[in-house]
Amino acid sequence: MSRSSNVAARIFNREIRTPPPGTSVHSAREFYENIVPGHTIYDIECPDHLFRKFTDDGQFLVSFSRNHQELIVYRPRWLSFSCTGDDCSHDLPPKAKRFESFFTQLYCVTLASSNELICKDFFLYMENNRFAIFATSTTPPIHDAPELEGAIPGVPLVEKITFHLLRLEDGDILDKKVFHNDFVNLTHNMGVFLYDDLLAIVSLRFQTIHILQIRESGNLVDVRAIGLFCREDDELFLNSNAQYMAVSDKTPVLQWTGVSIDPDLHRRPTSRDSTFLTGLKQRLLSFVFRGIWNEESDDSLRIQSLKKKFYFHFQDYVDLIIWKVQFLDRHHLLIKFGSVDGGVSRNADHHPAFFAVYNMETTEIVAFYQNSSEELYNFFEQFCDHFHVASGHPLYMRFISSHSNNIHALEQLKSIKCKADSSTQMLQFVKKMLGSVAYSCQSQSPSPYFDQSLFRFDEKLISANDRHRQSTDHPIKFITRRRPYTLKFKIKPGPEAGNADNRARKISFLFHPSLPLALSIQLTPYLQPSVNIHFRR
Amino acid sequence: MDSLFGDWPSFDPHNFSHFRPSDPSNPSVSAICPVSLPPYRVKNSTFHCQKMTPTTYCPTHSRTLPPSDQIITTEAKNILIRNFYGRGEEKLRPKRAAAQLLDADHGSKQPRPCDPVIELID
Repeated sequence: MSRSSNVAARIFNREIRTPPPGTSVHSAREFYENIVPGHTIYDIECPDHLFRKFTDDGQFLVSFSRNHQELIVYRPRWLSFSCTGDDCSHDLPPKAKRFESFFTQLYCVTLASSNELICKDFFLYMENNRFAIFATSTTPPIHDAPELEGAIPGVPLVEKITFHLLRLEDGDILDKKVFHNDFVNLTHNMGVFLYDDLLAIVSLRFQTIHILQIRESGNLVDVRAIGLFCREDDELFLNSNAQYMAVSDKTPVLQWTGVSIDPDLHRRPTSRDSTFLTGLKQRLLSFVFRGIWNEESDDSLRIQSLKKKFYFHFQDYVDLIIWKVQFLDRHHLLIKFGSVDGGVSRNADHHPAFFAVYNMETTEIVAFYQNSSEELYNFFEQFCDHFHVASGHPLYMRFISSHSNNIHALEQLKSIKCKADSSTQMLQFVKKMLGSVAYSCQSQSPSPYFDQSLFRFDEKLISANDRHRQSTDHPIKFITRRRPYTLKFKIKPGPEAGNADNRARKISFLFHPSLPLALSIQLTPYLQPSVNIHFRR
Repeated sequence: MDSLFGDWPSFDPHNFSHFRPSDPSNPSVSAICPVSLPPYRVKNSTFHCQKMTPTTYCPTHSRTLPPSDQIITTEAKNILIRNFYGRGEEKLRPKRAAAQLLDADHGSKQPRPCDPVIELID
């Protein structure tokens, strides 16, 4: 039975035929081959805001004011206009070609006070409660900050970072969480991960993973802080046994708790500094140690092996810092470790990195890999969707194309892999692919136009990732994957006639998750951005 | 029309004729039997006035029956995490029976469960 691409035939088929089980999203998505955002309004007049993103359920468009202090939320709607006369196939009337035809402003809320700015790259959304998390910080980050107890040197300091929890329907600020003299990597949601109602915030400066829960009532509740201590009562246990600890002046434990312990009573004369390693680091080192120990059965071979693989690199292991964290499920974290230099830089590809899987309930490290590990790469290739954990609601969030759920993406990956002939090239390939592990939360658009089984497009020019891209004067083509392989629509950012000069420009694309509606925003330095609206007319 | 679906519209009202009693007064009249393939035998359904049961198929062997003590549970960990645990346990398991083990709890293999538990993969 041939599958017609005619939309009326498809609707009729949908009425009388049951699709294969479990393919409701795929069957619904087929219609997006027929309904495409083919019409463009170039350089639309719109308020001078920084448009950030459509929420994943498509209910809101989030934007920030130019001075980075206010949040403005719009409701996307469809334009409606009427025309008199018999022939209505002409161009849209000028009244319809406005930003307000597509978006209604709901409210404008001030998030940042006078000396703070909203981090425009940071935004997280919880669909079930329609809560959103924004971040404001005092600027600029202070490099070469004075050393504080517990803070690692080399990481910049921000005086105050505030996370705001808002209800997007009305803009009510429900709760806040403040970090003082700390540093959280907020660009593109890198330092924060949201999984259902659990939020993990990585404090780079104090090397702590703060786990918070967002309650239905709108409260941010501290669940645990992993880093210095692993279990919630570790601190209590260590303090109550403080007389057995060899302490020194610089022990972070005693100073952080603020418990006054008579230092003379508890200090033993030691010939060297003896500070405890953090709880998480101890778990990690003991996991590595046990793995190497169990490789050999002969004691002398064991010791040789430990000397070569463990003690030789001991200081390197100790110096590792937490770069990034993501949830694998409610109990397991995937932690990316690396050196201090790579933690703050945007491009950390050439720094060695390590991945550890940590169980928060048992406080055990389950697995530990270097970023050149082929075993970890094989897991990534087979189970990519389990790395890109997404909440189940709405359902289409679980169907973002990846090489684990899409044959075309997998073929593309394998073609790049085949090109790696030598072992060095293979190593480079593995490192490059594993560079994207420890996924940034909500960084991919669920729009069906990015579904690789429906459309083929140039991934260097546009993709589901919400990173800025280099501008191009040529329109970006979307071609169907299925017969008859036709061009369905084009997205052309920038002015209709192209740019007059050759200045480097950045483009960002905002696709609505379900409607055939997209915004392309061309950013030119020192000028107002030019916004195009692409929609189905 | 005394059909299973009442007066609902249909392309052909005779489509579901074998769900209607051909003779309401005779309760043991058998329906038209569809083609039956081995190893199933077809049980002729009996039609009563208001009861209409479609033909049912019963297996003639017990090769495909599940064990009577089978328990089906859902595995809490997803497949990726299970793989991580599997590799981790292999690493921590000593290669040969070593005289000195660091941690006795992790030294031996995980005990197998006694009853056949089939886990549904989430």
